Amino acid sequence: MSSDLLGTMKISGSGMRVQSERVRVIAQNVANADTAPTKPGEKPYTRKTISFKNVLDKETGEKLVSVDKISQDAKSGYVKKYMPGHPAADADGYVEMPNVTSLIEMMDMKEASKSYEANMGIYTQTRDMANKTIDLMR
Amino acid sequence: MTTENIGLFQAMNAKMNYLAERQKVISQNVANADTPGYVSQDLNKVDFGRMVERVTSDKTKQTVRLETSNAGHLLPVNEAATPKEGKNKSPYEVNPDGNAVVIEEQMVRASQNQLDYGLMLNIYRNNMDMIRTSLGKRQ
Repeated sequence: MSSDLLGTMKISGSGMRVQSERVRVIAQNVANADTAPTKPGEKPYTRKTISFKNVLDKETGEKLVSVDKISQDAKSGYVKKYMPGHPAADADGYVEMPNVTSLIEMMDMKEASKSYEANMGIYTQTRDMANKTIDLMR
Repeated sequence: MTTENIGLFQAMNAKMNYLAERQKVISQNVANADTPGYVSQDLNKVDFGRMVERVTSDKTKQTVRLETSNAGHLLPVNEAATPKEGKNKSPYEVNPDGNAVVIEEQMVRASQNQLDYGLMLNIYRNNMDMIRTSLGKRQ
């Protein structure tokens, strides 16, 4: 078996790894969708975003994919909710709630799982190719 | 005797190496399907038909080879042309983040690749069987 096929499996593996990392970030966002501040003037949970980059694995020469950075989404504003009884309510009775939109998170999740599946598909296919090559010896 | 010296086997070997390398490029594209600024790549096509012709047909059609007059002279190791990786110049679709990988396209390429590889393996096996038969072994 050529090392190309092994390298292919390594690349697909790196693809699956970053996609599962992405799912982890999404889960974090969804879980914290209602994490309000505890004191007035404090910021609520800020939605996190993940981005990937293409890196060269110097050991094998494969171009793998890895997590570039996990940053905070400060562009979309917090949602103000009227809750006068809340400990973090301001003078007018409003509390700033996280900028997590469940619809966006769900769509992101769907994309991540599709990309994961695609990587898995390539992995399975390559494994079959390698298996068939080994079968030549029989 | 090794099968490496037989022209057809050489050509098949080259094609299988090419397919394995192409599979690698496709997996790279799929893994980077969400990487900002990544443009899908592919290997340029190699004309294996001509290569088979070159190694199997009569001597008159063969390309010019280096003459060796000394045992220390080296011949080119690989007769096959080596494919080059290149970026896809006209991507079907580019995302706002600059990513130009279309998963469906890559999947089609991957399955095509797998079929070609299977074909090569079958031809390889059949040729081996022919050699075995000529050696007088039972299948």
